[in-house]
Amino acid sequence: MAQIQPTTLEPPDSAAALPAADLAVEPPQRARRGIVPGWVRLLLGNNKGRAGVAVMLGMVALALLAPFIADKASATNFNILVTRQAPSLHHPFGTNDQGLDVWAQVVWGARRSLLLGFAAGAIATVLATALGLIAAFVGGIVDDVISLVVNVFFVIPVIPLLVDITAFLHTRGLLVMTLVIAGTLWSFEARILRGQALTLRNRDFVQAARVAGESTRRIVFGELLPNMISRIAAAFVLVFYVAILVDAGLEFLGLGDVSKPSWGIALYWASTTSSVLQGEWWVFLFPGLAIGITVLGLTLLLAGIDEVSNPRLRTERLRRHRLRRLLARPGGTVS
Amino acid sequence: MRWFLRRLGFYVFAIWVALTLTFLLPRLMPGSPIGGILQHLSASQLAANPGIIKTYETLFGGGNQSIWSAYVQYLHHVATLNFGLSTSNFPTPVSQVIAHTLPYSIVLVGLAFFISFALGTAIGMVAAWRRGGTFDSIFVPIFMALGAFPAYFTALLIMYFLGLKLGWFPIQHAYDNGLSPGFNWTFIWSAVRHGILPALVIVLAFAGGWVLNMRTVMINTISEDYVAMAQAKGLKDRRVMTRYAARNAILPPLNGFAAQFATAVGGVIFVELVFSYPGAGYTLQQAALGKDLPLTQALLLVFAICPLVANFIMDIANFLLDPRVRTA
Repeated sequence: MAQIQPTTLEPPDSAAALPAADLAVEPPQRARRGIVPGWVRLLLGNNKGRAGVAVMLGMVALALLAPFIADKASATNFNILVTRQAPSLHHPFGTNDQGLDVWAQVVWGARRSLLLGFAAGAIATVLATALGLIAAFVGGIVDDVISLVVNVFFVIPVIPLLVDITAFLHTRGLLVMTLVIAGTLWSFEARILRGQALTLRNRDFVQAARVAGESTRRIVFGELLPNMISRIAAAFVLVFYVAILVDAGLEFLGLGDVSKPSWGIALYWASTTSSVLQGEWWVFLFPGLAIGITVLGLTLLLAGIDEVSNPRLRTERLRRHRLRRLLARPGGTVS
Repeated sequence: MRWFLRRLGFYVFAIWVALTLTFLLPRLMPGSPIGGILQHLSASQLAANPGIIKTYETLFGGGNQSIWSAYVQYLHHVATLNFGLSTSNFPTPVSQVIAHTLPYSIVLVGLAFFISFALGTAIGMVAAWRRGGTFDSIFVPIFMALGAFPAYFTALLIMYFLGLKLGWFPIQHAYDNGLSPGFNWTFIWSAVRHGILPALVIVLAFAGGWVLNMRTVMINTISEDYVAMAQAKGLKDRRVMTRYAARNAILPPLNGFAAQFATAVGGVIFVELVFSYPGAGYTLQQAALGKDLPLTQALLLVFAICPLVANFIMDIANFLLDPRVRTA
């Protein structure tokens, strides 16, 4: 599990070979700027991006409306009167072996997962952007040290490391878990962002700014960052969903706080009380779907950002590609 | 050759980092781990194993050693595979617990992971070649969706449908009760049957990543001039796809192998837990839950080193496949 891989992102090695067709490279459309910022319009113009935004808005709405649509107590307080009930009007998603209401678990769990994923993503992104830029810009021994640390973290398995850390921890609250997860996941982002910053550093416009005598600070914030923004956004979304998966995973392993409602804890109950073996599908299906749909939404968002910023991945450009192949094929005539 | 030595140097360094990490972790954590460990053991158990407190102190800190002498002794303990006694399997040594469980995980993850790599890159290759075609628009969304679900959820689903409802495969343990591990057909057949569902979960969970990765790189490769050239020469479509485009596109996914394998090794904990498969991952979960710190510490080291070994093997493959690396 925990698909911790920048699948839809280019690996740093190949990034060098690609033209950086980033958001900011697009011609500025100052004249048309309205209430909706340009990047939102771009993202919503892309099918995957639109689907991702829709899914995430739905999830956020679920999390915000939690107090009105589900009873928090029924997600955490055992109730022996209503154990192992199949989905019904009273319990839309059924109840588990302890009589916990699965619907309440899913709704209240959305709060934890979204909050943790967002916070961990934000912390890791700030850390990774700073370190990635420093590594790429300062170079020399600083770059060597940062790259080495990042590369080592890249091959150390995150889950066993986190299992080990949580085994030592005495408290496993939201804040502690957010910090621990962000602290282990930033290296993935730093690797991507360093590669991107390195290729940008040698671009003509950056060199030109340097020759023009602009300060390093201005080059970093005025030239580099705006051109990296789509990469940074993609990296943020990546850590966002990986953090959700990792957190739910740790809870599933029994290394969470069972007194708080969450998706991982719901699945933990499903597995420890062998609900599956008793054929109670609803106990694991709904929390699992909640995780899956959230992660899918974020993956779509990520794919949307990628397609908007790297036009080669867009399927709309297919026609030109077909034409090229037709031309290359012997006997292929273009009238 | 220099490239090779540099890689080797990196692995040695990474192993050293893993060692130091497992050394420092318990010392940086709040509270004294040693007290927690000793809570699990009775006075008579401690009396029966003189010197065990000293071993634990070396591994986790505490006592009145200086940190440097503890570090040297710790490295010596690791080199001689002396990780103390497991508190949840007292008085079995930690190294023995690992020796019993690790082989299952290595075979399971190793096989399943290579299958998922082969399957995933093949699907990614064809999907990119016929981009926008039926194959592309069916398989890519399926694998994308599969990748979104955590492996333990896929595992629970597969267990419910293929194991429980259809009853095709056994859903728990690594072999039938009553058999004892050995090299005979009854045991191997039983082990294979028990391994199918966990392996299927790993294949499904990881193939998606390879599909998307390969597809992305392949799309970029297809627009290269040498591919157009190969087509202009009138070579068969299939030959251009495999020998020209895919051969060059496979290198970035291959380079991502290490990180992917590290993830797979982590993921195996969930799969083994769901299927009660007695591998190293299940053991780690049980150890962490039961606060068997000596066992978790040693297993973390094992989990950190396994991907490095796999990665080293992949580097050799890379060395053979990529002429640019060979001449560097």
